[in-house]
Amino acid sequence: MMKSVGESPRRGGGYGRVTGHQEYMADIHLPDTLQVKLVTLDCARAKIISIDTTEADKVPGVQFVMTPADLPQPMPRFGPQFQDRPILAVGETKYFGEPVAAVAAETKEAAEEGARLVKVEHEVLEGGVYCVTDALAADALLVQDPSLRPNDPLADTNIIDEKNFGWGNIDDQPVDLIVEDNYQFPMVTHFAIEPHGFMAVPDGDGIVIWSTIQHPYLLQKMMAKMLDMPLSKVRVHAPDPGGGFGGKQIAKFEPLIAYMALRAGRPVRLVLTLDETFQAVRRSSAEIRVRTGFDSEGYIQFQDIETNFLVGAYVDIADRVVSKSSYSAAGPYRVPAVKIIGRTILSHTTPSTAFRGFGIPQISWARESVIDEAALQLGIDRLEIRLRNLPRYKEAFIPGEEADGDWEQTVRTAAKRIGWGDPLEPNRGRGIAIGLKSGPTTGLSYATVRLLYDGSAMIYSGTSDMGQGARTIFAQIAADELGVPLDEITVVMGDTAVVPYDQQTSASRSSVLMGTAVLRACQDIQGKALTMAAKLYNLDEDAIKIDSSLVVLPDRELSLIDVMQEALAPLGGEVVGNGEMRKDKDPSHPLGGTAAFFEFNCTASEVEVDMETGATTLIKHVTVGDVGRSLNPLQVKSQDDGAAIMGLGHTLMEHYIFDDQGRIRNLGAIDYRILTSMDLPLELHSESIENADGPGPYGIKGVSEGSLLVTAPAVGAAIREATGTVIRDLPLTPQRVWEALQEKK
Amino acid sequence: MDDTLDINVTVNGRPRTINVAVNQTLLDVLRNEIDLTGTKECCVVGECGACTVIVDGRSVNSCLMLAVEVDGAELTTVEGLETEDGLSPLQAAFLDEGAAQCGFCIPGQLMSAAALLEHNQDPTVEEIQEGLAGNLCRCAGYEQITKAVLAAAKAVT
Amino acid sequence: MNNFQYARPETVAEAVALLEEHGPDARLLAGGTDLVIELRNHWVEPKVVIDLKRIPELAPAITERDGYLSISATTAMTDIVENEQVQRYFPALAESAVVVGSVQIRARATLAGNICNGSPAADTAPPLLVYDAVVVVAGPKGTRRIATNDFIVGPGKTALERGELVTAIELPIPEWAYGAAYTRLTRRRGTDLASITLCCGVDAAGNTRLAYGSVGPRAFLVIDDSGVLADPNVAIEDKVEPLDAMFHLASPSLKSMRASPDYRLAMLRVLGARALDTAIGRLTKELV
Repeated sequence: MMKSVGESPRRGGGYGRVTGHQEYMADIHLPDTLQVKLVTLDCARAKIISIDTTEADKVPGVQFVMTPADLPQPMPRFGPQFQDRPILAVGETKYFGEPVAAVAAETKEAAEEGARLVKVEHEVLEGGVYCVTDALAADALLVQDPSLRPNDPLADTNIIDEKNFGWGNIDDQPVDLIVEDNYQFPMVTHFAIEPHGFMAVPDGDGIVIWSTIQHPYLLQKMMAKMLDMPLSKVRVHAPDPGGGFGGKQIAKFEPLIAYMALRAGRPVRLVLTLDETFQAVRRSSAEIRVRTGFDSEGYIQFQDIETNFLVGAYVDIADRVVSKSSYSAAGPYRVPAVKIIGRTILSHTTPSTAFRGFGIPQISWARESVIDEAALQLGIDRLEIRLRNLPRYKEAFIPGEEADGDWEQTVRTAAKRIGWGDPLEPNRGRGIAIGLKSGPTTGLSYATVRLLYDGSAMIYSGTSDMGQGARTIFAQIAADELGVPLDEITVVMGDTAVVPYDQQTSASRSSVLMGTAVLRACQDIQGKALTMAAKLYNLDEDAIKIDSSLVVLPDRELSLIDVMQEALAPLGGEVVGNGEMRKDKDPSHPLGGTAAFFEFNCTASEVEVDMETGATTLIKHVTVGDVGRSLNPLQVKSQDDGAAIMGLGHTLMEHYIFDDQGRIRNLGAIDYRILTSMDLPLELHSESIENADGPGPYGIKGVSEGSLLVTAPAVGAAIREATGTVIRDLPLTPQRVWEALQEKK
Repeated sequence: MDDTLDINVTVNGRPRTINVAVNQTLLDVLRNEIDLTGTKECCVVGECGACTVIVDGRSVNSCLMLAVEVDGAELTTVEGLETEDGLSPLQAAFLDEGAAQCGFCIPGQLMSAAALLEHNQDPTVEEIQEGLAGNLCRCAGYEQITKAVLAAAKAVT
Repeated sequence: MNNFQYARPETVAEAVALLEEHGPDARLLAGGTDLVIELRNHWVEPKVVIDLKRIPELAPAITERDGYLSISATTAMTDIVENEQVQRYFPALAESAVVVGSVQIRARATLAGNICNGSPAADTAPPLLVYDAVVVVAGPKGTRRIATNDFIVGPGKTALERGELVTAIELPIPEWAYGAAYTRLTRRRGTDLASITLCCGVDAAGNTRLAYGSVGPRAFLVIDDSGVLADPNVAIEDKVEPLDAMFHLASPSLKSMRASPDYRLAMLRVLGARALDTAIGRLTKELV
């Protein structure tokens, strides 16, 4: 049988995706469902004086309006790190779009009408914290009430936490050049084409919840605790998300919808508009100061990095974004001394959350740009300076963390592909940048595989397939290990009443961690087949070997399926295998564990700038990632292409634009620009380095985030070379490039 | 009370009479009244293309049409692409080229591609990119989608 | 959307009667690509929506007569882009129509709707001004013809009076060689609302017509008959000053989030020079 691993078969779940039959959250219609519309205010900060629902209640079809008074008191608060987010705003709104009430009605139209008629008497509050400077000012307004953080010495500030990482003494290093600069990274949003959706219905003494969530089990745990129900009574359905990118990891309005369903005694559903998703999720903006010391040959002697991440009004998972990204802020370099300060800073804005890259794109924008500046000042080639400082395979570059690949091969491949060093046409420039992101630091995934009597198989996994193609990967593994044709494998996901526990779908973990669990479940089946064969053919188990889907007897080879069928006849039945993959917490590690793998990427870009308009054309864009092995090359390339294009979004055009009342002016698809099919690089190359040296099945590492880690510094450097100007704020819009060109004149 | 109107429309080859509110969009009627949920809702301002359907041979944003406007029209949604022999060459090409990732934009991409191929059997890469520029894909599978449309054009001619 | 009545007149006269009866409480539906957004967001809450697409007199049509190319009120951008006569006589109009939204938008959006909306950024306004198009209006008092420059008034405002609707737009077919080009400034190459719309037309007699939008309350038309701008033999450096003078009407908004006033003003000059160059090139080709 042809091996499936290493091939690019049609995507699992692909049929539904090209026929319109794939059921996303919003496509699931339960009878007798109430539709919900959130009630929000047209400002970021307001004191809520009263909520009058009289007019809303009169709208035909409106069943009830949920106000803070209708929820348990004190208001339940939730969040993955800090339980700071109330289900509805308490006393005041802290960001534009924070719901103050919610209307449940028989139709969407009635709910919308009701929401317009809920009268929220409020007083718009003066001022607000919308940037790092405001947040850190001595007389800064406090975003959160200090009483939310008892015993926290920082409770009287807007700083949630300050991380201090590093090694060596940065003041002791002999340096010939120090480069120091500040860089800004804007607020950008995930813009999954599927807006978030939530539905809940009481079920006897339990509850059933549907959500576009990436982590059904995390949601189950949180809801069980909040509702004081056993886990067994909280069932979470997580249909394949229509794009996640991190924005669907953490619960948003599930608690609200659950309480509304319990009140209604019938299904209640809320599907956000795209505009509302902008008010629900975003990437942390950041101001990053980098001070790097070099010797005359370009060897990095120290890095002194201060990252100020502006998170939103509630912490969500943003503090983890700060710690994890700051920890590896010094990047894939051999540096004798490093000092890193990472701050999580509250503001009166959309709570920021996980977003592909998890803080690394922000930091690497600054770090890589500073290295370019040093290279120029030292007269060293920008590629060469990176190669000089790159750790070799297995070399520790952060205490306790080793380079887990031949990174030089990655960098040289990218340089070759972009034509580094070739003569440039007029108005053109090239840039190159490298970066890395830690994979998961802990993990726990269980998988169950059922080999059915007819030789087909079912895989049960709590991973969410949100486009990365987890279904395909798991099926490919099982196909090879069990000898089952791919089209006879069904992968079941997204229902906590059916699939075993999985910690989460994040940090590019699923192929490595859940993939291993699936592999082990298949190996469990192989072990059972071996026992079956021993019994059937009266052999010692030691005399039998398993070679993937083959049972090798001393005198012949049988397929695992044949052995299973012979053993199970005449009653039939099935063989069930279970697999577990665990990466335990290491309490001594600052992040709770070392990285399971690194996503190491080198991006190189060639641009042409229109010197009159400042518009940038991407002539060629190359990204190369060390993936260990491409288990499914087409899926790996698609994810890398996609990440690169998403990275070009925050590099060239994406950003929230605020007014002076903290309102996002460019909510929605008209004035928040992302790349279309007409904005692509003229040539886009995504390539993989494969040395089968990863921790996952067959030597794979995680993929999907690498290609956007250093898009901004690579493109920024190319624009710098083309124009001779330095821009330290993203995005690099035509106007911004033009302004830089004017300044140069 | 909502004003309603009976409209006659051929949906995926099947003539139907549907009673619609005059202030209902075509998108809402498709998704909520006749259960054709393959057509997706996202931006509702005609920018993302997730709601694209074909009306009388032209691709349109169903979020920007009142349902009453399709009275007398011929309408194709993603559910109408499959043929008696199964997946259309276009759908098959989307699968073979890996064009569908999360899949949420794909119904709209397919409808735009189908409309393009209806008018231009041998499109260039630029024509495909231009023809599908009204369909956002945040997985950014644009290269794969373009390849799929090229492959489908080849398969048909 | 609010509850409204949906009217489907079968003649222009019926539509005019409905408009006269309801005045500001009526909204016309042609392509609907702007109206449906306004309805959904409750920016407008009409009592009646009048669908013009069932009126045979207004059915999509591009016809040539009496030296004019007449484009009926429900003609969609796609029809205009694909029309051979438009491409031949009015290439700049085709260039502006083909960048209105996406394919899906162009399949619905109409030329008449584009200028009736009164958006300062309407793509087709500058070419209509350059080509000296006439807007044909039907109303209670009969039909009148209004020059585009008089029809466009300001943001959301046109010369239409109560009871009036646009039935067609007529473009005079140039009797002599004419060169025109349309260009725009956007934030990306894919569909976008323009931060500048600009059209330049030149003839062999040395007249230059320049129209530009998105930099003030309406699209402006400025004419230069000195012959300097249109002259292919005048060096580009010598055109800088007279070209700059053409933009004296521009007053871009400080509040726009799409582009700063400084950038828009600078880009007007860049785009103006480029469009002028293209227009002259086209004229030269026509003359050969």
